[in-house]
Amino acid sequence: MTRRWPLLLLALAACLPLLGVLPPFWVTLANYAGIATIVATGLVVLTGYGGMTSFAQATFMGLGAYTTAILTTRYGVDPWLALPAALGASLVGAVAMGAITLRLSGHYLALGTIAWAVSAYYLFGNLDLLGRNDGISGIPPVSVFGFSLIDSRSMYGLIAAAAGMCLLLTHNLLDSRPGRAIRALRGGAAAAASFGVDLPRTRLLAFAYAALLAGLAGWLYAHLQRSVNPTPFGLNASIQYLLMAVVGGVGSIWGGLIGAVLVTAVNDQLQNILPRLLGATGNYEVIVFGLLLVVLLQTAPAGLWPLLRRRVLPRPRTITEAPALPGRTMPAPGTPLLAAAGLRKQFGGLVAVNGLSLTITAGEIVGLIGPNGAGKSTTFNLLTGVTQPTAGAISFLGMPTRLRPQRAARLGIGRTFQHVKLVPDMSVLENVALGAHLLSRQGPLRAICRLNRADEAQLFAHAARQLDRVGLAATAAAPVQSLALGQQRIVEIARALCLDPILLLLDEPAAGLRHAEKQELAALLHRLRHGGMTIVLVEHDMAFVTTLAERLVVMEFGAKLAEGAPAAIRANPAVIEAYLGAPA
Amino acid sequence: MSLLELEDMGVAYRGIPAVQDVSLRLDAGQVVTVIGPNGAGKTTLLNAIMGILPARGVVRFKNRIVTRLDIETRVRAGMVLVPEKRELFGTLSVHDNLLLGGFVHRRQGSAATAAAIDAIYDAFPRLRERHAQHAGTLSGGERQMLAMGRALMARPQLLMLDEPSLGLAPLIVAEIFRMIAALAAEGCAVLLVEQNARAALRVAAHGYVLENGRITLEGPADALAADARVTATYLGVG
Repeated sequence: MTRRWPLLLLALAACLPLLGVLPPFWVTLANYAGIATIVATGLVVLTGYGGMTSFAQATFMGLGAYTTAILTTRYGVDPWLALPAALGASLVGAVAMGAITLRLSGHYLALGTIAWAVSAYYLFGNLDLLGRNDGISGIPPVSVFGFSLIDSRSMYGLIAAAAGMCLLLTHNLLDSRPGRAIRALRGGAAAAASFGVDLPRTRLLAFAYAALLAGLAGWLYAHLQRSVNPTPFGLNASIQYLLMAVVGGVGSIWGGLIGAVLVTAVNDQLQNILPRLLGATGNYEVIVFGLLLVVLLQTAPAGLWPLLRRRVLPRPRTITEAPALPGRTMPAPGTPLLAAAGLRKQFGGLVAVNGLSLTITAGEIVGLIGPNGAGKSTTFNLLTGVTQPTAGAISFLGMPTRLRPQRAARLGIGRTFQHVKLVPDMSVLENVALGAHLLSRQGPLRAICRLNRADEAQLFAHAARQLDRVGLAATAAAPVQSLALGQQRIVEIARALCLDPILLLLDEPAAGLRHAEKQELAALLHRLRHGGMTIVLVEHDMAFVTTLAERLVVMEFGAKLAEGAPAAIRANPAVIEAYLGAPA
Repeated sequence: MSLLELEDMGVAYRGIPAVQDVSLRLDAGQVVTVIGPNGAGKTTLLNAIMGILPARGVVRFKNRIVTRLDIETRVRAGMVLVPEKRELFGTLSVHDNLLLGGFVHRRQGSAATAAAIDAIYDAFPRLRERHAQHAGTLSGGERQMLAMGRALMARPQLLMLDEPSLGLAPLIVAEIFRMIAALAAEGCAVLLVEQNARAALRVAAHGYVLENGRITLEGPADALAADARVTATYLGVG
């Protein structure tokens, strides 16, 4: 109940402008805040969760607005019929722009969107079709059940409903399989790719979703203003929307709403109050607004929402029993699983792996050991497609393959990382669920319409089982960063198990674990092997690796130094010299 | 007189206690180790002593209460932490990383700095070979050497090491432990958090067992190493 009443209060507050008690001026302001909320919510998905900065949101808004303006004024199309066309125009614009621009990253992506925004602005202002700088006027109002939304107050109902719907849909999207892929883009992209997330497609999804929301906002804007011109769709407007999202807090969907309402209201009030206060006219509000912004970003760099929210831990997800996901069939023990021949990897002048040949047979546990810098982690990256070999060939189950992270995941190669790669803003369980990305097909449309509940229940039940298997079930709801480093490594193992792997590659799984914890881990790995899984691990704890593995491969300077049973390796003079040192 | 003294220290994350009622002492030139399971709060404890996390209770260093002081002041007072993730300046050279480690002594002139760096290079000849290389391109063992070397550039009286053997080959681990013993012999106290409890208790004079954020056992290192419960959980047989 306590979680519901703030929402209820918000809904009541949102209904206020409908009642006729507010002066029309405030209703107009509320309309602009509502439209801005929709745009800023798109930016929360794109920037806050997806880690991409766009200065082109007003451009997408313009695409939607101009589309409905032309269709309704020139061709007499009903506004409701023009809506899909407006959304389509923004979508096509986003996909075209994204296909070219999204390959850029960081600052370059932001600069790319600025270039698009500037050129689109001049395009809007110079095309005869779009009425040049005068724009298009005489756009008909939207009507609902024969009732024409001609005045500001009646239009508010539509805008508030649209904004509310956008918040709900966005919440649904983020809490879903494609949503978690978007959230992994920021800070967890490399790991997400290793579990089958198609990064370019996921980036495009976030970009297109944000553009669709902007397109909807543009359609509403056109029918509220009843005219369009290039100014509200220029770079300045885009910056304003980004500012709203940042002020509110891009880390939460509520950030868009708070930022939009606050920035709209403050901007307007400053314009009213300052001239009276200073006794002079001029754009003083820009200066004061800038100062307020500096103060805000100094005191609340993550925006306002984190300050307002009480510091509550995330609500634990209820796990319901669900039918198991279809599993892979393990190859019969003894079949050759993975073969690498003459692997070589060169980084500039440095040869990290030098002519390594390696065969892994189904059902065995192989330890890969060697001095630091011998090329063990690079070998792992070659075997999982994270880096491409300079020379050499890899075959999996007898088939020659060119490995990419996604392909490796599809083939059933699960892995952990030497330097933990988890998505910092997600809970332990959500991180684990990312490993099951390929086991479900649920797409964004079903996600936003909440038709994915059965799939999600199945997926999370699967993830919870893996977390239970590694003994961390009690931490499921905790933010993953609150765990100790050694536990985070175990979470990575659970995530890898979620993939239902045939081959499990573990990079220093026991590092940071205590003796008793290592014994538990060894017991788990033995159980997995009995279930038919093949395991390769890089490990420095000789006691741990020699009791676990039946075969050790020793690397030095990128090449194989020795290979054989643990006892023989421990007695091998070359290995003692290079790696083990004389027994103390 | 103790060099470092903790009295009823407590640390909380978002209101949830991670470390509670910890009292601990360490004398000048002494090696003290804290052992315990993952998630017990060992890293939190070190971070709080260094001032990275706010703490309740009293942290006394060289008879001065430092509980409310900032990190820079504590470094100037003579304590340094080598963090679990090393936190090197990846895009700077090995040499520049060392220079930054000696930042608190920057006014002592370049001759003193050069001598200090030379001493580090003598202790870790591998770093001299790599002096112009970016820290981000070092191997795991070299990273740990650089992290320790950078900390020693501040010429601390208390060096705190968080999992120094993490991810290191056995040969290098032995090297790191020799280094710890040598530092203590020269008068630098070491507070050591280490997964390899056997090696840690061998090099330390005194040990504490931290479980669920509380000290559950303490004593001379050889007594702890002989304790049945410690053996079963942290050492194993053999």
